[in-house]
Amino acid sequence: MNFVIPDVVPAIPEIFMLAMTCIVLLSGLFLQRRYPSLPYMLSLLALVGAVVLTVALYKHTTEITFHNSYIIDHIGSILKVTILGTCFFVFLYCRRYVADRNILNTEFYVLCLFSVLGMMVLVSAYSFISLYLGLEIFSLPLYALIALQRDAARSAEAAMKYFIMGAVASGMLLYGLSMIYGATKSVDIAVVSQVLTSVPASQNLILVFGLVFVVVGVAFKLGGAPFHMWVPDVYEGAPSAVTLFIATAPKIAAFAMAVRLLVDMMPLYQVEWQHMLIVVALVSMAIGNFVAIVQTNLKRMLAYSSIAHMGYMSLGLLSGNAQGYSAASFYIIVYTIMSLGAFGMVTILSGKGFEMETINDYKGLNSRNPWLAFIMLLLMFSMAGVPPIAGFFAKLGVIESLVEAHLVWLAVLALVFAIIGAYYYLRVVKVMYFDAPEHQSRIDTTSMDTRIAISANGLFILVLGIFPGIIFNLCKAAF
Amino acid sequence: MDGNSIHNISMIIVFAPLVGAIIAGFFGKKLGPRMSHQVTIFLMTIAFVLAMYLAKLVFMDGQTYNGTIYTWGVSGSFQFNVGFLIDRLSTMMMLCVTFVSLAVHVYSIGYMHGDPGYQRFFAYISLFTFAMLMLVSANNFFQLFFGWEGVGLVSYLLIGFWFRRDNANFGSLKAFLVNRVGDFGFILGISAILNYFGSVDYQAVFDQVPQFAASNPTLSIIPGLHWSVITVICILLFIGAMGKSAQMPLHVWLPESMEGPTPISALIHAATMVTAGVFMVSRMSPLFELSQNALSLVLIIGSAGALFTGLIAIVQTDIKRVVAYSTLSQLGYMMAGLGASAFSAGLFHLFTHACFKALLFLGAGSVIIGMHHEQDMRKMGNLRKYMPITYVCFLIGALALSAIPPFAGYYSKDAIIEAVHASTIPGATIAYWCVLLGAFVTALYTFRAFFWTFHTQERMSDKVRAHLKESPWVVWAPLVALAIPSIFLGMILVGPMLYGKPPLLGDAIYVAPQYNVLAEMAKEYHGPWSMAFHSVMTLPFWLAVSGVFVAWLAYCGMPSLPEMFASRLRWAHATLTYKFGFDDFNQFFFVRGCRRIAGWCYRVGDQMIVDGFFVNGSGRVVQWVSRVSRHLQSGYLYHYAFAMILGLVVFLSWLVLG
Amino acid sequence: MYNWLTDCVFYVAAALLVVSSLLVITSRNPVRSVLFLVLCFFCSSILWMLLEAEFLALVLIFVYVGAVMTLFLFVVMMLHIDLEKLKTNFVRYLPIGALIVLGMIGLMGYIIAPEHFSLLAPAHHGADYSNIKELGTALYTHYVYPFELAAVILIVAIISAISLAHRGPRGRKSQDVPSQLNIQRNDRVRLVDVPAEKKE
Repeated sequence: MNFVIPDVVPAIPEIFMLAMTCIVLLSGLFLQRRYPSLPYMLSLLALVGAVVLTVALYKHTTEITFHNSYIIDHIGSILKVTILGTCFFVFLYCRRYVADRNILNTEFYVLCLFSVLGMMVLVSAYSFISLYLGLEIFSLPLYALIALQRDAARSAEAAMKYFIMGAVASGMLLYGLSMIYGATKSVDIAVVSQVLTSVPASQNLILVFGLVFVVVGVAFKLGGAPFHMWVPDVYEGAPSAVTLFIATAPKIAAFAMAVRLLVDMMPLYQVEWQHMLIVVALVSMAIGNFVAIVQTNLKRMLAYSSIAHMGYMSLGLLSGNAQGYSAASFYIIVYTIMSLGAFGMVTILSGKGFEMETINDYKGLNSRNPWLAFIMLLLMFSMAGVPPIAGFFAKLGVIESLVEAHLVWLAVLALVFAIIGAYYYLRVVKVMYFDAPEHQSRIDTTSMDTRIAISANGLFILVLGIFPGIIFNLCKAAF
Repeated sequence: MDGNSIHNISMIIVFAPLVGAIIAGFFGKKLGPRMSHQVTIFLMTIAFVLAMYLAKLVFMDGQTYNGTIYTWGVSGSFQFNVGFLIDRLSTMMMLCVTFVSLAVHVYSIGYMHGDPGYQRFFAYISLFTFAMLMLVSANNFFQLFFGWEGVGLVSYLLIGFWFRRDNANFGSLKAFLVNRVGDFGFILGISAILNYFGSVDYQAVFDQVPQFAASNPTLSIIPGLHWSVITVICILLFIGAMGKSAQMPLHVWLPESMEGPTPISALIHAATMVTAGVFMVSRMSPLFELSQNALSLVLIIGSAGALFTGLIAIVQTDIKRVVAYSTLSQLGYMMAGLGASAFSAGLFHLFTHACFKALLFLGAGSVIIGMHHEQDMRKMGNLRKYMPITYVCFLIGALALSAIPPFAGYYSKDAIIEAVHASTIPGATIAYWCVLLGAFVTALYTFRAFFWTFHTQERMSDKVRAHLKESPWVVWAPLVALAIPSIFLGMILVGPMLYGKPPLLGDAIYVAPQYNVLAEMAKEYHGPWSMAFHSVMTLPFWLAVSGVFVAWLAYCGMPSLPEMFASRLRWAHATLTYKFGFDDFNQFFFVRGCRRIAGWCYRVGDQMIVDGFFVNGSGRVVQWVSRVSRHLQSGYLYHYAFAMILGLVVFLSWLVLG
Repeated sequence: MYNWLTDCVFYVAAALLVVSSLLVITSRNPVRSVLFLVLCFFCSSILWMLLEAEFLALVLIFVYVGAVMTLFLFVVMMLHIDLEKLKTNFVRYLPIGALIVLGMIGLMGYIIAPEHFSLLAPAHHGADYSNIKELGTALYTHYVYPFELAAVILIVAIISAISLAHRGPRGRKSQDVPSQLNIQRNDRVRLVDVPAEKKE
């Protein structure tokens, strides 16, 4: 059999990431006594290196290697860089939180890095097998991460729920993929999309059948209703640092999965998945926004808000035109940055022995630390979609694409839900600015690096609102 | 040198003040007053020096630039761009703005010394300069509107700078609201342009204008009444200009704006912002030239304003208000010039006026500092003894304003009067008489203020007199810097600006051949000196001189004269004191009327329908739905799995069977 | 003859597989569940055999039955799970669950009928055909990337499991001197106010 050694150059970022993760693991085992912050530093180094490699190796052309298993293209590069950058900020925010608690230090970083590696694999996956493996590499560490704070029963419960639900969803996805494989006799996305153009009518039903399972699997990973049930429990139950991680980068990975499976592979079945996504989007926006209103725990509220945001993002995907896809990718990136800031705030404000979790903890934040309160205000306004902050343009783009796709009724409903949603974001602002604080002490849990990071994060949202073109043009070029 | 370098230079000119504003505004508290003014002034100096260099590139080397810097957003086929159009007109304006702004920055060090809002003040004026530069450098209507609103906003902030004073708050609100009326017309005009031309880019619009005018489309304002689209657009745009440039009847805000600090009055309410309307009309000359009706309107409004607001100035007792009303009157002159299609003359007056009016304001400010923030002329007198430098500078400004040759104001104002005289469009005759009488009135009120302040007997209290002395150098240095162009600018620019071949502003301005009054006048022009000597044989000169004489007679020669005038001609005096009733009419009709309607709407519409039914009602519904739907989240794993499978089955049956 | 025999083996093994997997989830005794699971694996391995995938069939027996299920058995025996308690809601949710399951089965029966797949039975190979060799060649050449990724998953699983289960070196009976010295009185002694006689 003649075998050509595949071109490994496009996958160098992943290879580097894997090597660095192993180095971090070993350094934690053997050197942590002497250099306690070595794993942390090495992890940051790994992320920076991977970003540099991803950017440097991307040649502005689509390359497929490893026998149709691996693809690197424009949208993939954007999403990878976003995932890596997000994880970088996650580590900055988490360092103190993790050190203060009974969480294994090295293992935390190693598992996060493995998860990031899985996301990179998933983003670049171009066959069912590598896609599924990427999905598992990125999900498995998450389950472990949630339970990593071993003395917290709440975390263990959340981990268990997430694990079982995740297993069910993986099973469904796999089942759907096997149906598509059965009908097309290929696991390569490129080949499948080719075969689909000439598929006999008798197999149509099987493909639709498989597609339903695939959409369910994707919707579960995105956390869209009615497959969202794990989201609030996991976000609330996990330690804030882990919630911060789960709420940010995996969304991008799940989005990548949606793009690969729906947009790249099954454009011919757009009508079918559009119908399903319309239901997912509507139910998500409704449940997310309504239930968020009555929450008293900020993490739980943000969890519901994430469900709603995934609804808005799906609106972009389902509009089925290039404008909609780019609007959706812009939305997911902006959402990730916003949620990074919001959960980051929760994480950095939580000190040793107390969590800033409930909304009441934020009473009078303005008098305790005006700058952080201002950043939080920016983040909340952005999530609510107040112009001229980035969240507004994200929503605008999605709604514009809906109008383009002649789904005006959906756009109107989205606006109504956005207005309802504004209520609970503004409540946080109101609590921060107009309520009397319960503790008078100034907040001293933040260190210089986290303050800089969170400021950069919040201000970036503002800058992105004034110059949305920075990222929007990148997303536009991808489709 | 290529277009790229112009691009970069203009970027720096425009954004340097913004950087200054950000630094002084956000970090002012940390930097302290000294650092704040140093930073802003340093950046302003950079902007000014580069503006001079830019002027060299544009005027000497004949370069121009028109390009987009950043696409802010795309909506359908419309692009919202940030772009620069650097031609002779905008370069001239940039030079003028940065020069006056720099002078005012330096001046403010002395004037605002010790004020609690010192850093805030510098941040504001730098921000203003940025907005103004954005306005003049725009290559499209959106950016123009951005700058337009930006200067309006900063003007509002600065009039209300001393926000603890009721008058300041009232004045700032009034300025804001009146400007809103103008802006409403302006944005309607821009919308009409977007609607009919499909673009907001200057070049794209002007390129289409000739064919567009040739088809002469009309627009039905009310059924049966058809107006030319171009006329409607021009009038709407002019309404915007009326608001910003304080033309009758939207002039009422400018006198109130004197509640702000004096440097602001000089920078914003005399030299730059109020001329934005004049600038805009000139920029739009390719449009205005195609509509005789619009030109007539501009001419009549302008010249009427020039005369009547001048008359009001005669009875004012507050030194700043006199200068403010004179600004109104001079803006009227500029507009009249534009209406007569003598765009170059109007802009020429804009530049000379910027210098000498800033000079007069800063001179008045210097007097006010000396008098310990007393602005009432009835409590001044004989100040030349104490403040010689201010005295001389103020005199130069007064001579320039009164159009005494060979000072700067003479050349520009005489050109306008001549242009109006030469114009043949409807209304030109009335306009000519207005501007002619205006020349007399201008000289009268200017020298009235001058004599009353610097001559006559001393009327101030002893306590004030004891401290009376010349202002510090940071205050008088800008005066001197402005006095020089107030003397010479006219002489230097009159030739190239009005009669040059090609004219100084080149093709930035378009004048239709049938309205080209300047070409007529050029036949009788033989250089600045001969023009100055020749003036002795013309009517405006003698009117101005007699104005000065009357002022001298009334305040130095026969001090009983004003009293006599006030008592004999009681009705005329009252009319002027009540400013022709504009303010009272507004107060009565608009303010009280609006309050009545608003009160009713608040009670019925807002409290009952909106608040009661929609807001609270929908709020309650949402709360109820939330409370109910939260029970979906039971916390049991098998519920979650069940929900998932249910969703799956629903999708399956829908898509497979449906 | 040949087809008849294989068909017969297939249906017996398949039926056994379904029945035993049902018994895994319904059996009352957890040890029995595990044993039924072993039976499941055994039946599936027969199905592999019929497809001429001998290697996979044997691996299934070696790894799952030989190693994994043995471990399972130990764990189940040690933990002593009370399955009755877990099944209290079983009957309550049975009707609706059964309804959904029946619906699903009906749908699947309708959709996944063989004629929709247009599949042919795999070709039979000669006696010298080596399934292991083919598998190895495919794994190490065409599927090298997924193969490596699978290895990563194993590492992740190991790390996850250890970091969750491993609670520091235990079991040594050596003294922890610092913690002995740092102990407070309140940690060890609890003072209780006991009434002298029982109050009625």
